Amino acid sequence: MTVLKTSMRNFFAHKGRMALSAVAVLLSVAFVCGTLVFTDTMNTTFDKLFAATSSDVTVSSKDASDSGETTSGNGKPPVIPASVLDDVKGADGVKSAEGAVFSTSVTVVDGAKDSLSPTGGGPTIVGSWNANEARTMEITTGAAPESAGQIMVDADTADKHDLKLGDEIGVITAVGTHTAKISGITDFTVTNPGAAIFYLDTETAQRTLVGESGVYTNVNVTAASGVSDAQLKKNVTAELGGDYKVLTADETAEANQESVGDFMNVMKYAMLGFAGIAFLVGIFLIINTFSMLVAQRTREIGLMRAIGSSRKQVNRSVLVEALLLGVFGSVLGVGAGVGLAVGLMKLMGLMGMELSTDDLTVAWTTPALGLLLGVVVTVLAAYLPARRAGKISPMAALRDAGTPADAKAGWIRAAIGLVLTGAGGFALYLAGTADKATDGSVWLGLGVVLSLIGFVVIGPVLASGMVRVLGAVLLRAFGPVGRMAERNALRNPRRTGATGAALMIGLALVACLSVVGSSMVASATEELDKTVGADFIIQDDNQQPVIPQAVAAVKSTPGIDRVTEYKWTEADFTTPDGRTTDDTAITAADPTYATDLRVETVAGKLADAYRPDSMSVHEDFAKDHGVTVGSKIDVAFKDGTTGTLTVRAITSSEGVVDAGAMYTSIDTLATYVPADRMPLDLLVFASAADGQKDAAYKALKESLDGFPQYEVRDQTDYKEALKDQIGQLLNMIYGLLALAIVVAILGVVNTLALSVVERTREIGLMRAIGLSRRQLRRMIRMESVVIALFGALLGLGLGMGWGATAQQLLALEGLKVLDIPWPTIIGVFIGSAFVGLFAALVPAFRAGRMNVLNAIATD
Amino acid sequence: MTTAVTIPRHGGTGGSTAVAARARQVVKAYGSGETRVVALDHVDVDIARGRFTAIMGPSGSGKSTLMHCLAGLDTVTSGQIYLDETEITGLKDKKLTRLRRDRIGFIFQAFNLLPTLNAIENITLPMDIAGRKPDKAWLDRVVETVGLAGRLKHRPTQLSGGQQQRVAVARALAARPEIIFGDEPTGNLDSRAGAEVLGFLRRSVDELGQTIVMVTHDPVAASYADRVLYLADGRIVDEMHQPTAEQVLDRMKDFDARGRTS
Repeated sequence: MTVLKTSMRNFFAHKGRMALSAVAVLLSVAFVCGTLVFTDTMNTTFDKLFAATSSDVTVSSKDASDSGETTSGNGKPPVIPASVLDDVKGADGVKSAEGAVFSTSVTVVDGAKDSLSPTGGGPTIVGSWNANEARTMEITTGAAPESAGQIMVDADTADKHDLKLGDEIGVITAVGTHTAKISGITDFTVTNPGAAIFYLDTETAQRTLVGESGVYTNVNVTAASGVSDAQLKKNVTAELGGDYKVLTADETAEANQESVGDFMNVMKYAMLGFAGIAFLVGIFLIINTFSMLVAQRTREIGLMRAIGSSRKQVNRSVLVEALLLGVFGSVLGVGAGVGLAVGLMKLMGLMGMELSTDDLTVAWTTPALGLLLGVVVTVLAAYLPARRAGKISPMAALRDAGTPADAKAGWIRAAIGLVLTGAGGFALYLAGTADKATDGSVWLGLGVVLSLIGFVVIGPVLASGMVRVLGAVLLRAFGPVGRMAERNALRNPRRTGATGAALMIGLALVACLSVVGSSMVASATEELDKTVGADFIIQDDNQQPVIPQAVAAVKSTPGIDRVTEYKWTEADFTTPDGRTTDDTAITAADPTYATDLRVETVAGKLADAYRPDSMSVHEDFAKDHGVTVGSKIDVAFKDGTTGTLTVRAITSSEGVVDAGAMYTSIDTLATYVPADRMPLDLLVFASAADGQKDAAYKALKESLDGFPQYEVRDQTDYKEALKDQIGQLLNMIYGLLALAIVVAILGVVNTLALSVVERTREIGLMRAIGLSRRQLRRMIRMESVVIALFGALLGLGLGMGWGATAQQLLALEGLKVLDIPWPTIIGVFIGSAFVGLFAALVPAFRAGRMNVLNAIATD
Repeated sequence: MTTAVTIPRHGGTGGSTAVAARARQVVKAYGSGETRVVALDHVDVDIARGRFTAIMGPSGSGKSTLMHCLAGLDTVTSGQIYLDETEITGLKDKKLTRLRRDRIGFIFQAFNLLPTLNAIENITLPMDIAGRKPDKAWLDRVVETVGLAGRLKHRPTQLSGGQQQRVAVARALAARPEIIFGDEPTGNLDSRAGAEVLGFLRRSVDELGQTIVMVTHDPVAASYADRVLYLADGRIVDEMHQPTAEQVLDRMKDFDARGRTS
C-alpha cells in the first residue's frame, strides 16, 4: 500500500519529467491503434459495399474470376450467351433475373480526351444500367441512359472532373471508341471507396464492351421470397448444368473481400512493423527516463532503504510508476489512434479514395491491444532501471547530494558488444558471399539483428571515443563552451549511448534502404543501357494491355521505322522428360524483339526462336527439364490448342529485364489461339528511322493523344520513371520511419531536458560566475548536436553496411551495381545536426530562463 | 533608521576609490499585502576597497540577501547598488552577467566546481567564458598562494572538501575581480580546513590587495575580517572593526539576549 502511495506521489511529483516518455508511448500506441482502426474501417467499407452490390445469385462465365474482375488478356470481359438468362428464369425459386454487362478493361475520357480514371488506384468500371445497380445507386440529376448516345456517370467522378449533363464522354475499349453525352448523374447510397462508374444502356454496353450483342458478363438472379440464396444457387445450377459459374451473394462478397483483404493485410502488417520500430525506439527513451529519475532520487531511495524498505519494495515502486506511465500514455494513445485513423481517412480522401467516418470501426481488440502493448513495453523498459534502484545502498542517504558519479562504460559491456557486433559482421559477410539468395537472406537477417544489438550494447563505449572525435572536429572552435558541451555529452556514456542508439535505429534503416534503392536504380539503368535496343516503350501504367487501335496509331506514326508487339499468355508445357508444368508464362513477340531487347543466349540464336513453331527457354528451365536446342516441347496455350514447338535458343538466366522469359513469335501464337481470344499487347516497342528520333518521339506522343492511358517513353524517360517509382516507394517508407525518428528526437529532447534539471546547480554556478544566457544555450545546443551526430554516424554506418550487404546478396538476382547515394547520406548527416539543434530548443530555453539564485539553492 | 555605518558618498577616508561597492536605501521585499516579507529594510552600506568585510546575523536576518543583491545575483525592490561607480540596480541580465564575469568573484558554501572540469580548468573558467587569456604569472601566484600546485589536473571528485573550496578561492582570485563575495565559504568544512581557506582569504587581502565580502554565522570565520557588519531583521544594527572571535561571540550573544527579551 505504501509502495503504491509513494509511487503515485513520485509519479505526480515528476510528471513533467515523464511527459516525453508518455508522448513516446502515446505515439507508438496511437500508430498501432490508428493502423488497426484504419484497416478495420476500410474492411467495413468494402464489406458494406460488396454486401450491398451483390445480387442473391450471380451467374457468370467459368473464365471470370470469383470476385467479378472482368479483365482478360484479349481486353474483353468473359461472357455468357443471352440464352442463359432465359434458362435461369425457368429455374425454381427465381423471382426475377436480368442480364448485365460490365468491364474494367476500359478507359474513359472527357471531351478534351483527358482520362477520367480515379487517381487513388480505384477501378474504372463501365456497365449496363440495371435493376441490381439501381439498388445501390440513386439518380440525382437527369435520367438513366436509354440510347446509344447517352451515358450516366457517378456523382463522385462528376464532382471531381466538373462534369455536367450533356458533356461528351468517350469510352475506349479494345472494341473501339464509343462517344456519348451525359444523360444523368447517379449517387452511391453506400460509401464508394474510389471507383469511377459509368452506365450505358444494355445494348450499347454489349456492343461497346464486348463487340457483340446477345451476350452478358453476368446474370443477376433475385430469389423469390422464402428461397435461400444457397437453395437458389442449387436450382440455377441444376437448370444450367456445370458450364457456368454460379455464386451466392455471400460467396461473391467473400471473394471480393479476399482480393481487397490481401492488399489490406500487407498494408496493415507493414504499418504495424513501423509501429514496432517506433516502440523499440521508445524503449530507449523510457529506459533513459527511469535511469535518470532513479539517479536523481538516489538519496531519497537510500533513505527509504535506510528506514527499512526492502530492495523488492524499491524495485516495485519504480515499476509501479512505469505501470502508471504506461497506462496513462496508452489510454491517450488509443484516443489519438482513432484520431490518426480519421486523419488517414481524410488523407486518403485527398488522394481520391473516399472513406466515410460513419463506417469508423473500433473493434474491442484495438484498445485492448494498444493498452497491453503500451503497458508491457513501458514496464519492461523500466525493469533495468528499477533493478538498479533496488541495488542502491542505504549509505546513499548519507552521501553528498548532487549529480551521481559518472557511470563508466564497462569492459564487460565492451566485450559483449564486440562479440555481438563481430558475429553480426560475420553473418553479414556470409550473406554477402552466399551463393544462393535463400541462404544469404537468412544470414542477412541474422547479421542485421546481431549488428544492431551489438551496436546498441557497445554504443556507450563508442560514445566516449566518437564524441571526443566529433568534439575535436566541431566543438573546439567554440572554446570553453564547446569543451563543456563535449564533457557533458561524455559524462554519462550510457545515457548518451542510449539516446544516440534510439536515433541510430531509424537512420540505419533509412541509410540501408537508400543504398538498396539507389543500387536498384543504378543496376536497372545499366541493364537497360546494355539490353534495350528500342527507342521508345509504350505501355499502360496500370498494367492494362495496349488496345489494337493504339498499336495501329503507333504503327502509322511518321518517322517510326520498327514496331515490336509484345504479348504474354499462359500455357502448360510438356517437356521431353514427360513432366508437365502448368500455367507457365510464355512471351510472344515480333521477331524484331531480338533487336529491341538484347537477351544473351547460352545456346542457339534468339532470332531463331521467332521462326514458325519455335521457341526459346531460359537456362534454369532447360537445366531442370533436360531441354537442349532442338528439343520439342508440347505447349498447350490458354484459350487455344496445343502445339509442338522446337527449342531454338536457350537464354541466360541472368539479368533483370524480362528475367526468365521464354519467347515465341506472335505468328506461332496465332496458329494455336483463335483471333478473338488473342491476348492484346502488353507492351509496344518502337524505334525511329535513323536521325529522326526527336521528331518521331513528338509524333508518337501526338498520335497517342487520344489514348491518355498510355505512356510513351524513350530510354531516358523510362529510366526516369523507374527512378521515380523507386523514389516514391522509398519516400513512403521514409515517411513511415519518420515516426521512429520523431520518437528518437523526443528521446534527445528528453535526455537534454532531464540533464538540465539534473545540472540545475551547475547551471546556476556557471551563470553566477558569468556564463551568459546565450553561452549557456549554445552549450546545451552543442551537446545536443553532438549526441545527434553520434547517433547519425552509428546509424548511417550500420545502415550502409546493411545496404551494401543486401546489394551483394541481391547481385544474385541482378542487382549488380552498388550505388551509395552520398547526397542522401550526407543530407541525413547534416539533417541530424539540425535535429540536434531543434531538440535543444526547449531545454536550452528553459535552462537559460532558470533563476540563478534558485538554481544555486537547489539541492 | 539604524545605520551604524554612515559613510557619506564622498566623505570619510580616501574618496570614492576607497569604496568598492555601496548600497543606498536598499529594500528587498517578497510577496505583497499581508504576506509581504521585508528581507532588507532601507539598508545603506559601503564596502571598503582592499578590506575583508564579514556580514553576520541570525538566520533570516537578510545577510545572504544583502550579499546576493550586492553581487548582482538578485534584484532589489527599491534603492541603488553601485559597484565602484557603476549602478548595477536596473541593469539587464546581459550586462549583469558580464559584470559578474569580469568584475566579481564568487565562493559558495558548496558545489563551487563543475564536476566535468579539472581544478585548473575550473580556476580559469570565468576567463575562458569571457574569452580572455589568464595572466600566467598571476595565475601561478594564486595557485601557489592557495597551495594547489600539485593537484591542478584533478577532478573535483578527487579532491577533499577543503581542497575543493581552495580551488573555488583560486577561481575567484584568478580573474582579479574588483570584489569577491563568499557565501558561508567555510560552512561545509571542518575547523582545520575552514581555517586554511580563511587564511588564504586573509592573505589575498593582505598580500594581493583583494576586496572580500563574506557572509557567515561563524564567529571564528568573522574574526578573520577587518570589519564585521551585523544584520537583524533586514537592517544593519551594528559593526565592529578588527574583531576577535571572542568579541564577535559576545556581541552575538548580546543580540540573542536582546532578541529574546524584546
